[in-house]
Amino acid sequence: MAETPKIRVPKTAKKGEVIEIKTLMPHIMESGQRKDKDGKAIPRKIINKFTAEFNGKPVFSANLEPAIAANPYMQFFAKVDASGTFKFTWTDDDGTVTSTEQKIDVA
Amino acid sequence: MRAAILSTGTLAVMAIAVGAFLVAAPTSAGAQAKKAAPLELNGDAAARPWKRYDKWPKRDESKWSTLDAVKSPPAPKDPQKITGPITGDAAKGEKLVADRGRGGSCLACHVMGPAGGANLPGNVGPDLSEIGSAGREDEWLFNYIYDARVYNQDTVMPPWGSHGVFTDAEIRDMVAFLKTLKSPAKFKTVLDDPNKRPAPVEKRENLDSLENPGMWAVDKAKALWTKSMASGKSCNTCHNKPETQFKTWAASMPKWEPRLNKVLGVEEFVTRHAAATTGAKWLMETDENRDMSIYLHFLANGAPIDVDTKSAPAKAAIKRGEALASRKIGELNFACTDCHGKAANHWIRGQWLGELKGQYDHFPTWRTSLLAVWDIRQRFQWCQVNIRANELPPDAKEYGDIELYLAAQNEGLKVSVPGIRH
Repeated sequence: MAETPKIRVPKTAKKGEVIEIKTLMPHIMESGQRKDKDGKAIPRKIINKFTAEFNGKPVFSANLEPAIAANPYMQFFAKVDASGTFKFTWTDDDGTVTSTEQKIDVA
Repeated sequence: MRAAILSTGTLAVMAIAVGAFLVAAPTSAGAQAKKAAPLELNGDAAARPWKRYDKWPKRDESKWSTLDAVKSPPAPKDPQKITGPITGDAAKGEKLVADRGRGGSCLACHVMGPAGGANLPGNVGPDLSEIGSAGREDEWLFNYIYDARVYNQDTVMPPWGSHGVFTDAEIRDMVAFLKTLKSPAKFKTVLDDPNKRPAPVEKRENLDSLENPGMWAVDKAKALWTKSMASGKSCNTCHNKPETQFKTWAASMPKWEPRLNKVLGVEEFVTRHAAATTGAKWLMETDENRDMSIYLHFLANGAPIDVDTKSAPAKAAIKRGEALASRKIGELNFACTDCHGKAANHWIRGQWLGELKGQYDHFPTWRTSLLAVWDIRQRFQWCQVNIRANELPPDAKEYGDIELYLAAQNEGLKVSVPGIRH
């Protein structure tokens, strides 16, 4: 079954506040370096890109490399000046793109 | 070999499914639903033949007693006579007492002076650092290792000689080493001293999905809940408000099931109920079953454990469970109540032995050391393999009795699932 990403974004914030965002994507992050029982390399399969957008504009992004552990966890800060929607996307080596959104009310 | 229920009996399943109806979850122990929940009563609720989990020790322990058979040889009545002083190789003995590959190491339970570098010894048994000047006779030392039951019927010490873990010559080497121990152990750090090592306290946020991957099962189970299964029905067909319908149900489990003549825990109930209603094949110890069990326990979080301990069949099951929990099993000849009763609140090597109370409210739990969810039955199975006894299949009736006995010891504790543990 497809894994669902786990995110933490405050539901509300004050105008201009710097908020903390936490995201976690369940994923094996197979590095491509390991070998199976028969000595064959296990093909690489990682999340290679993460992006965070706010109202369609990029806020934060990261290129992930094979040394990153399973279930990549990102914690970062963003300044919010208006109400809107955060959108987070994770891109898998196999082309799968998983995304999730959350609204925030800024007063 | 019987086939597991979910591969057979489609007709029976459908027949039951037609009669399936929403059954109110009991709100407390003893509150019986008016109509018994549909259950698939045929076949087993777990794979047969039961195959031990990957990466678990493969050793066959069929020589020794298990929870469903008494097989180990009886305790000898009398100590062996030893004439003359024991002359063994103390250096070999020192290696043997710290050898984790053989006995599991004497240090697991005893502080033994310099042995093993006094690295994280346990304190289930007495500190032996000065046994060499305690005035013990060689014969006594030999027999205490060989089979301590000749001196103390209630001992938790494994019968190392009687069960053939160590040879007589090896035991003589260990006796020779013990005789050299005459001064208190010197610990490198305070953590190495089991009497000063602080008991572990679990402080992690077990319901935070960023901290506890066990929580991911909740999302998965929610998706399974509304998914149509073989019969075209889903859990949601009958239970469309799980948050209110299952607020206390898991806290009332396990429960005696007269139709099956055994105690059912949440996991086996899920297997048999889903098979009878939606046709889902959620055998115990599969991912779907674990996810569902976590979700159903999660819905009851905060509810005090309140199982039926008063009805006649429940009382009988608890009595059987108590007897099973005190049965000595495996090559190491331990009973559940040895570690979690007599020796509770002590260290076995670097692992803390908890009392029976506190061993149930957080199951199923995420194991950080294994990156896996374990339900209570898998926990039971590991306890046995760990003490070198063959485990039973997870749906064994003996586990049902033990689970009810354990739940009864945990009455009043609030469900907190998924737990998170080492």
